[in-house]
Amino acid sequence: MTYDIVIVGAGGGGMYAALEAIRRNPALKIAVISKVYPTRSHTSAAQGGVNAALANKHKDDTIDLHIFDTIKGSDYLGDQDSITYLCEQAPILIRELENLGAPFSRLEDGSIAQRPFGGASRHRCCYCADKTGHTVLQTLFEQCMRYGIQFFNEYYLLSIEENDGKCQGVIALNLRDSKIHKFEANSVILATGGYAKMYWHKSSNAAGLTGDGGAAALRAGIPLKDMEFVQFHPTGLRKSGLLVTEGARGEGGYLINNKGERFMSKYAPEKMELGPRDLVSRSIEIEIREGLGFESTAGQFIKLDLTHLGAELIMQRLPQIRELCIYFEGVDPILEPIPVRPTAHYSMGGIDVNTSCETNIEGIYAVGEGACVSVHGANRLGGNSLLDILVFGKRAGMEVVERASKSGQPKISDSQVEDQQKYIDGLFGKTHHERYDVIREELGTTLGENAGIYRTKDALTKGVADVYELRERFKKVKVADHSRLFNTNLMQVMELGSMLDLALCVAKGALAREESRGSHSRIDFPTRDDKNWHKHSIFKMTAEGDIAVSDKPVTMGKHELQERTY
Amino acid sequence: MEDRKQITFNVLCFNPEVDEKAYFKSYDVVLEKGITVLRALNYIKDHVDQTLTHRFFCQAGICGSCAIRINGVSKLACTTQVWDELETCKTKDQIIVEPLNNFKVIRDLVVDIDPMIAKLKKYKSWVVPMVKDEDLGKKECDVKPEEFEPINAATDCILCASCYSECTITEADRHYISPLVILRAYRMNMDTRDTAGEERTRLLQEDHGIWDCTHCYRCVEACVKNIPIMEAIQGVRHETFERGMTNTAGARHAKIFLDDVKGGGRLKEATLPLRTLGPIGMIGMIPFALKMGAKGRVPPIFPHKVSTHREVKTLVEQVEKESKKKD
Amino acid sequence: MKFAYYISCINEGMTKELDIALNLLKKDLGIELARMEEATCCGGSNLEFVHPDVAVVNNARNIALAEKMGLDMVTTCNTCLLGLLEAKHKLDHDEALKAKVNRYLKSHKLEYKGTSKVTHLLWVLNEDYGLDKLKSKVKKPLTGLKIAPFYGCHILRPSHLFGQRDNPYAPRSLDLVIEALGGERIEYESKTKCCGFHTMLVAPEESLKVAGKALVDAVDNDADYIVTPCPLCHTALDSNQADAMKVMGSSASVPVIHLSQLIGLALGYSPQQLGMNKHVVTSRSA
Repeated sequence: MTYDIVIVGAGGGGMYAALEAIRRNPALKIAVISKVYPTRSHTSAAQGGVNAALANKHKDDTIDLHIFDTIKGSDYLGDQDSITYLCEQAPILIRELENLGAPFSRLEDGSIAQRPFGGASRHRCCYCADKTGHTVLQTLFEQCMRYGIQFFNEYYLLSIEENDGKCQGVIALNLRDSKIHKFEANSVILATGGYAKMYWHKSSNAAGLTGDGGAAALRAGIPLKDMEFVQFHPTGLRKSGLLVTEGARGEGGYLINNKGERFMSKYAPEKMELGPRDLVSRSIEIEIREGLGFESTAGQFIKLDLTHLGAELIMQRLPQIRELCIYFEGVDPILEPIPVRPTAHYSMGGIDVNTSCETNIEGIYAVGEGACVSVHGANRLGGNSLLDILVFGKRAGMEVVERASKSGQPKISDSQVEDQQKYIDGLFGKTHHERYDVIREELGTTLGENAGIYRTKDALTKGVADVYELRERFKKVKVADHSRLFNTNLMQVMELGSMLDLALCVAKGALAREESRGSHSRIDFPTRDDKNWHKHSIFKMTAEGDIAVSDKPVTMGKHELQERTY
Repeated sequence: MEDRKQITFNVLCFNPEVDEKAYFKSYDVVLEKGITVLRALNYIKDHVDQTLTHRFFCQAGICGSCAIRINGVSKLACTTQVWDELETCKTKDQIIVEPLNNFKVIRDLVVDIDPMIAKLKKYKSWVVPMVKDEDLGKKECDVKPEEFEPINAATDCILCASCYSECTITEADRHYISPLVILRAYRMNMDTRDTAGEERTRLLQEDHGIWDCTHCYRCVEACVKNIPIMEAIQGVRHETFERGMTNTAGARHAKIFLDDVKGGGRLKEATLPLRTLGPIGMIGMIPFALKMGAKGRVPPIFPHKVSTHREVKTLVEQVEKESKKKD
Repeated sequence: MKFAYYISCINEGMTKELDIALNLLKKDLGIELARMEEATCCGGSNLEFVHPDVAVVNNARNIALAEKMGLDMVTTCNTCLLGLLEAKHKLDHDEALKAKVNRYLKSHKLEYKGTSKVTHLLWVLNEDYGLDKLKSKVKKPLTGLKIAPFYGCHILRPSHLFGQRDNPYAPRSLDLVIEALGGERIEYESKTKCCGFHTMLVAPEESLKVAGKALVDAVDNDADYIVTPCPLCHTALDSNQADAMKVMGSSASVPVIHLSQLIGLALGYSPQQLGMNKHVVTSRSA
């Protein structure tokens, strides 16, 4: 089938793009393909909120302050033109989404409520109780239904097709019957989500955040950027890695070590628990390394104490967090502190795009966590990820509408489809014996140990070697389920393939970057090195399937490099 | 010491490619206390049987992918503790796992939820904003915190379809609107920024709509987010009266209860069918009436009026008057 | 043991036999029932759609009448129970609402205080009367009779209204009564399902399917009787049984009896005395 626009991924970014495009030109033929039903997308898991300098709560908040906080939060790796665009658009996007039905919590005067969030100098974070992402996602799905957007649910992206540097569309597998479909289009938006699930059990991510879009981009010759920057959220639940939102600290939660101390006083005496995520995660890691954590069979942890906030506040403002703790940890935060530890949470890196969401291939765009604009640089601020998908989802929608009117007939050849069929058939190879679950588990373990919160040359060297070895073993991975119907075994294997490719980028990038910046913390290079490393890392796949690392400059603006302290 | 034991999962499996009908596969696994049913299923898939087919995504109770029936009850696998389920096993330490009801099974625990999405579309489950398209994004709507109170619970819905699976009428009529779609309609109707209440309510009260609900409360009991869905059903039914859409059997039937409480206090059952269905609709009721008549089970056409019926009438009228004043 | 007896409207008409049986056995059991002749219809799980305020005031008045009598209030109908308890729950958890409702009631010399319990015959037997005592009254144990308990919705759901009485997915209270009377209780899937009564007029086809499914389930499990604590369930399962069975492609039949009749049988009354001849279905056929 031929479309004007194909969007891959139906989370917040993909659906905002679809909505923007159809509203601008209702005659456009748009297909949104997604490996899960739209409302299952991981946008739903963003609990805390979305930043916009509405100045409803703090009247002296400005877009400039939001810009500066974001640049500083990025440890000066974010591109200032993109960050400026992000923050300028923020109030418009929030109002638009609110106008379309998102039930943002309110202040008494009827305006959108805002709360404090890590790394923000003002109360800037708009929220819907602790279900912000969920309600944003639902609202976008509702509006997409209203405008009649056509969804292809449970289709898995196999390849991005280009010809002569121009987009021709994508090829995807329908999970229902394992049939391969081509979606020809001059414009493709990749809104495929992040890759932090590669840390597996030490990750808060949904099972499907395996970086399929990034992996397909690499194979199509599209570079990735800043892949070594993976954010660890300070407060994942001890057992499951599931997140206890920053909202819990925003509402006044304490982080406590085994001496009963609020240890953040040592690391961020002013901001205390509301320091930026990378700082809080590292502080917890130091406490644990210094023997100040608590012991358990599920590993060491520290405690997030909400008990002093009282039952009423917890029930009213953090009800879902309370539920989460009871269901997954067996702990009621009203009665006792929550056992937490840092967990891989967000991927700052992704498909290399500019402020217009364009990749190096004409007509192929990328948005959201799967893309790297870059607005988050070396470290994303809480409340900026939802903002990222909204602002750049909309921007990509605008861009493709412009493009739709002036491009020719896209074409995906039969041989391109056959190539994908061969790839799928190959996965069912009879002599294959490697277990996907074992490879996946080992990948998570080596990344956690060697490319986690604290990194060294030795560990990363081992990490890179491990990933190479796992990629070799993956060539003999066994797909045991040979049914064509809803073959989730096949899908999990393909997802593992994506994770392995991107894991190599993460480990190689982390090894190459001999400095500490934002979420990337090298024990052997403990300070930021602007002279040598104030630049983006760029990752390309070679013809042999290896990953080559290069770099490109950061776009600066009116904010000069400064030391980052809180 | 961690509590560990062997548990059997009896999973209703069905692969239409090869199976004529669904059958139970048994998996014996040793598990430790504290793990969820989803983790157990994932363990089985990874270590025992790679063909076991189920959906899951967020593993945190917010995406709604993993709803299945566990020991006969529709719920999320990811928020259900295995040890809690052991208490409801019919056979000791044997947990029964089945796909959701009221959907076609695609394979094993995976069902086709497209009909649910189609109903969301049919009943316009979206806000039609009061802000004109060209003015979107210019300014916030003025919404006081209390205006959102009626929809706060409803916006928790994650479309997991547990209520859909448990619904009595959806089982009897696949075209029935279903609880979650009514909940969504209520959520939209009660949103002060929405302008489609009239149109949506008109759709809701048509055939296969809100009046077919049999008030069995199974949806309420099953809701994984504890949303009081029946309040939404009551709410949209009430709205039909507010909007004067009373020309349905359901509305006429409901109205009788007010009329009869006011006019004597007791329900006048004998004329209930006539007043609900009208003279033509009544024809279908004749066999029923004859059967009951033959057994002497005819309700009195004029049941006893409660001795204080005049006072009751005054009381009801007082309440009606006061509520009107409020509007 | 004395209760204010809240008479459901249907017991004065279509299911008179429920009260006929109840009248017989209350003497044997020593339960006194003071009939609440001034009470109005509970609203039939419908009044709240038309006028939510009237619905609450109406049942506040009904409960206030029992409070005035200084008695707990018992009903034999699930839907009456639900309506009364829904109002009671709202009033007991919302002081402002209670004050508002009492302003209306005051001019009628009534006040809702929240002092009277609202209960159901089935609960009375389990909680107030006691199953051992019930067992001791049995003259003719129901030995060999296979009895399918059909609870009905509004005594199980929404469970938060009913305290910790029964697990809504695996209730026991009616099963225990059957056992106390010497009968053999049947475990079957439809035990907690809906009878379809509330859609009999509005969605008759669906209603028949709902009833039919439960009936066939009981027959498939060899039930001699279905027993229900709710006259509405009785009506849906008995009066339309042939049609409901037909919808399911079955020509079987199974008698459906009231809880009061089941007890009456065990106390030695004849089916005739208990009004069982008034039922549409009086005998079982496979």
